[in-house]
Amino acid sequence: MYWKYAIKRVLYGILMYAILVFIFSALFNTVMEQTLRAQIEEQIRGETMRMTSLNESQLEDYVINRRNDLYSLYRLTRPVAERILWRTWDTLTLNLGNSTIIRSSNGSRNVWDVVSEAIPKTILLFSVAMLVDIVLGLLLGLKKAQKAGGLLDKSTSVGTMVVFGMPSWWLGMIMIMFFAYGVKIFPSGGLHSTPPPEGISYFFDLLYHLALPVLTLVVIGFWGRAFLTRNIVLGVLQEDYIMAARARGIPERKVLYGHTMRTSAPPIVTMSLLALLASVGGNIVYEGIFSWPGMGNLYWIALQQNDVPVLMGNLAITTGLYICGLVLLDLIYGLLDPRIKVGGKQ
Amino acid sequence: MTMSDLRRSASDFWKEFRKVRSGMIGLIFLVVFICILIFEPIIVPYPEVNEKWRDITYWQDLPSSAPPSWINLFTSKKRAVSETIEKYTFSETLAGAMRIQEYVFEYDYSASVAPSDVVFHASGVGKPTVVISIERPDGLSVDLYRKQLETSPSQDARVSIDRSAQTSAMNFGKKYSPSEGVPLQTIKTTDVLFSKAQEGIFRNPEPLVGTYRLKVTLLLQKPDERIDNVFISIAGRVHGILGTDNSKRDIWSGVIAGVKWAMLIGLLTALVSVSIGVVYGVISAYVGGWKDSLMQRIFEIFISVPMLPVLIVMSAVFKPNIWMIIAIMCIFYWVGPVKTVRSMGLQIKEETYIEASRALGASNTRIIFKHMVPLLIPYAFASMALNVPGAIVVEATISLLGLGDATIVTWGQILQAANSGGAMLSGMWWWVVPPGMAIAFMGMTFAFVGFAMDKILNPKLKTR
Amino acid sequence: MDNILTVENLKLYYYTSKGVVKAVDDISFTLKKGETLGLVGESGCGKTTTGFALLKMPTPPGKIVGGRIEVDGIDITPLRENEMRRNIRWEKISMVFQGAMNTLTPVYTIGKQMMETLQEHREMERDEARKRIEKYLNLVGLSSDIVKRYPHELSGGMKQRIAIATALFLEPKVIICDEPTTALDVIVQAQIINLLKDLKEKLDLSFIFITHDLATEAEVSDRIAVMYAGKIVEIGTNQQIYGEQGPCHPYTKNLLAATPRLHERVSELSFIPGAPPDLLEPPSGCRFHPRCSLAMDKCKEEEPPLIEIEDEHMVACWRCEKR
Repeated sequence: MYWKYAIKRVLYGILMYAILVFIFSALFNTVMEQTLRAQIEEQIRGETMRMTSLNESQLEDYVINRRNDLYSLYRLTRPVAERILWRTWDTLTLNLGNSTIIRSSNGSRNVWDVVSEAIPKTILLFSVAMLVDIVLGLLLGLKKAQKAGGLLDKSTSVGTMVVFGMPSWWLGMIMIMFFAYGVKIFPSGGLHSTPPPEGISYFFDLLYHLALPVLTLVVIGFWGRAFLTRNIVLGVLQEDYIMAARARGIPERKVLYGHTMRTSAPPIVTMSLLALLASVGGNIVYEGIFSWPGMGNLYWIALQQNDVPVLMGNLAITTGLYICGLVLLDLIYGLLDPRIKVGGKQ
Repeated sequence: MTMSDLRRSASDFWKEFRKVRSGMIGLIFLVVFICILIFEPIIVPYPEVNEKWRDITYWQDLPSSAPPSWINLFTSKKRAVSETIEKYTFSETLAGAMRIQEYVFEYDYSASVAPSDVVFHASGVGKPTVVISIERPDGLSVDLYRKQLETSPSQDARVSIDRSAQTSAMNFGKKYSPSEGVPLQTIKTTDVLFSKAQEGIFRNPEPLVGTYRLKVTLLLQKPDERIDNVFISIAGRVHGILGTDNSKRDIWSGVIAGVKWAMLIGLLTALVSVSIGVVYGVISAYVGGWKDSLMQRIFEIFISVPMLPVLIVMSAVFKPNIWMIIAIMCIFYWVGPVKTVRSMGLQIKEETYIEASRALGASNTRIIFKHMVPLLIPYAFASMALNVPGAIVVEATISLLGLGDATIVTWGQILQAANSGGAMLSGMWWWVVPPGMAIAFMGMTFAFVGFAMDKILNPKLKTR
Repeated sequence: MDNILTVENLKLYYYTSKGVVKAVDDISFTLKKGETLGLVGESGCGKTTTGFALLKMPTPPGKIVGGRIEVDGIDITPLRENEMRRNIRWEKISMVFQGAMNTLTPVYTIGKQMMETLQEHREMERDEARKRIEKYLNLVGLSSDIVKRYPHELSGGMKQRIAIATALFLEPKVIICDEPTTALDVIVQAQIINLLKDLKEKLDLSFIFITHDLATEAEVSDRIAVMYAGKIVEIGTNQQIYGEQGPCHPYTKNLLAATPRLHERVSELSFIPGAPPDLLEPPSGCRFHPRCSLAMDKCKEEEPPLIEIEDEHMVACWRCEKR
């Protein structure tokens, strides 16, 4: 039952991704090709520079021939529609070309190398933040639901609304100004100190650098988590089966943490993950502010240096990860909610 | 749903809304914002802020990177404030065909930190020679400027002491503090001129309070040469309600000017996108069958796209103006309400009065727009209110990355300048904090209103 | 004592933002061992509230403000929540709730929920517990591999049976059934009714059967208490209420008249005019007087007490005298 559902969902996600990549390829084809042509010229120039033995006309011939060869190689001579399809296929198979300027840490200009280096760093930052966010938000939300309408509930709801429209990157700027430059507790950015320490100290150094960005994200995020948890839990607490469980003599602790939480889990988890995915965008500036070498920061750098291939590649991969997230969300929901896991009536 | 039905439910809703304290507070803030919007030309000390934001000549008399003037309340080391000195004593002597005009301005300096600049303004005809010197309370005089100045009748000619008298200041200072070796570029002219002539004048200046006299002598040689509109502007070390940025722009004016853009961007995006979403959801629910499934598939394609990365790339490649940015945002935001609206629509569809309408021969459009959509209006409004902050933040993010519409003043634009101007590093909190707080504040306002509406319309969340 | 349950002057009020709703206002009755007492009345008359009151679980914002409840010789009135939960609820007195469709947590299997309940109350080895669960599931006519299922996989009738099995398997003395057959189709209704009758005989149980459906009540109950606006207006045996002489209280009479019988020719359906009273400001004197065709002046002023008009037959009405 579940496996059928899971496979369907995954296939569907892949299809969705392919369609999106196609749309992107069509949209940005012109720009990409401009860059490609420029890169080809650069390559030819590099080659001809070493050919000191040839004369003018021979050089010219060589350039023209080479250009034609390369254009055919990169399919620039084929009709537009075909070019777009090929670009789609290339992107899907992660054949993303070379960057104009940006290099990965081992000097490669291959876009996939550049981007894939940044992926784990982004995932590290945001998973840690999400973990802390969810744990704190869940606990607070539970407390709020238990005494709904009370002082804690009302005051923390105000907190939720205060940060509702606050850009995370702005808060980051403030935090840096205060905690990194003002009262110098935390480093102002980066993944680790230079030079990075060895062994166990590396781990602690990492934590030290994670602290401020994670703290800022949590401050913005966990109110929403608490509010959401509170609403969902409140809704569940009013259900008949909770009352029935209490009547049957189940202790309050088990009713709350067992029956209530377990029933609330699917929507809470889904919405939290959705919120996380939605914040994928804000990451770009956020990582830039903290100089965190993740995908968001890469975006910013590629923008400033006008490195279109890296931008495109990053976009494709970000979208891919985003869709993965959506699929994962559905799969987890299906796992948590037996109504989907096991299916309908017998 | 008739007009009177709508009016009745609106008044019912208003009665409920009035009870929710946070909603009312949000509404008050909203009214404040609208007032700011309307009265912008009056509130703002520099009314041409919108057109002249990128025009450096408009701001040239302000200090650069100056904190707000009210910080003087919190410190004992008072900083000089900006002022204009128009009073002068005038005397004219003739030496043959040449007219020698002398203007003497008095400036009372009582602060602990010197002003940022002292600027001489004049308009007129011709190219007189201008000689400026300053007489300090301790009796010492410093020659500041001696050059010919090109004047014009329509525009001010300016002499900035800070820039033009740097060497004079250095020479003056060296005389009284010979041990200090400071390179010319690091010297702040005014700091030297307004400090006690003693050892340490460059690195550890002590303020010299008292009355300073600025003597401006104009030598007019040609008979048709003429000077009028002479005054001195002092660019303080602090300025205005929110200080200035490194391009000398008054931040208070910028932030106030940004209110209308934030409201426009937020409300327009929210209105258009939620309207599209609601209509889409209702139609999808109503038509059912394969059309519904198709609409859902299309919807899923849109929802699979991460908005901001795509928006950023599109902005980088196509360099849109603000209206296009709003349009693109709408393309992403319309998906928000669709799922909920569709399930609500499916429920309404099952109601018998819909069937009855159809039996009476009502057209589909009529049923959708007269019977179904009005029921969703309360939800739509709550949804709109809650979408506004997001849209404002997205625009601010795009602007921060330098991809926004540079022709308008939005809070994001101000923050972009702050970031590239190294405001964080220099501790220029007055540049970084106010625009962001404005964004947060407007977001908070709409959050209060939106959550209050949501509370009323969503019965499960009612607390006793 | 032959009485397994004694209720004296029970009062349960709801403290709402609009005022105090006197949902159950001074009721008294007894339940004999092995009998079924029916509690009948219109919606909102307070019968479900009474059920919850017996478990001492008033729905917030309700509070028990007075009276005495004795179950199996134990006065449960002063007991605190902890003791109720541990020793009384489900041990001595249990309940089959209204709308049992929604009384099972959707994310746990049936087995887990039943096992959890069992193990909360008794120290049992898993095997022993499993055996008992099986026994009771079989008793209500369900196969034992239903324990692996989730609630959403089962039909309404099955869930109702599980609710019954769960209410029984700790072998309590009193079982309250609150509208156990509403929301089920007629065939399943009949099955459940027969099941309950069967179980009562086999296990010698005592039931309180709450419903608004007089027909069902007639089938199941030995004695019947009629409630109106938070008060008991008549109590009698099945024979006394449904028999030839019939009830005395005008309300009960009207209730019976309003129930069409299959083999009677009815030209016009009779009904009781008016609507149940607002329990925030109940009518003065006898609460039924605004709708009563036999109302006198005295009915408006003074509330009639429950008096015995025959052996085992009590009525609260100024018009009723000893038979």
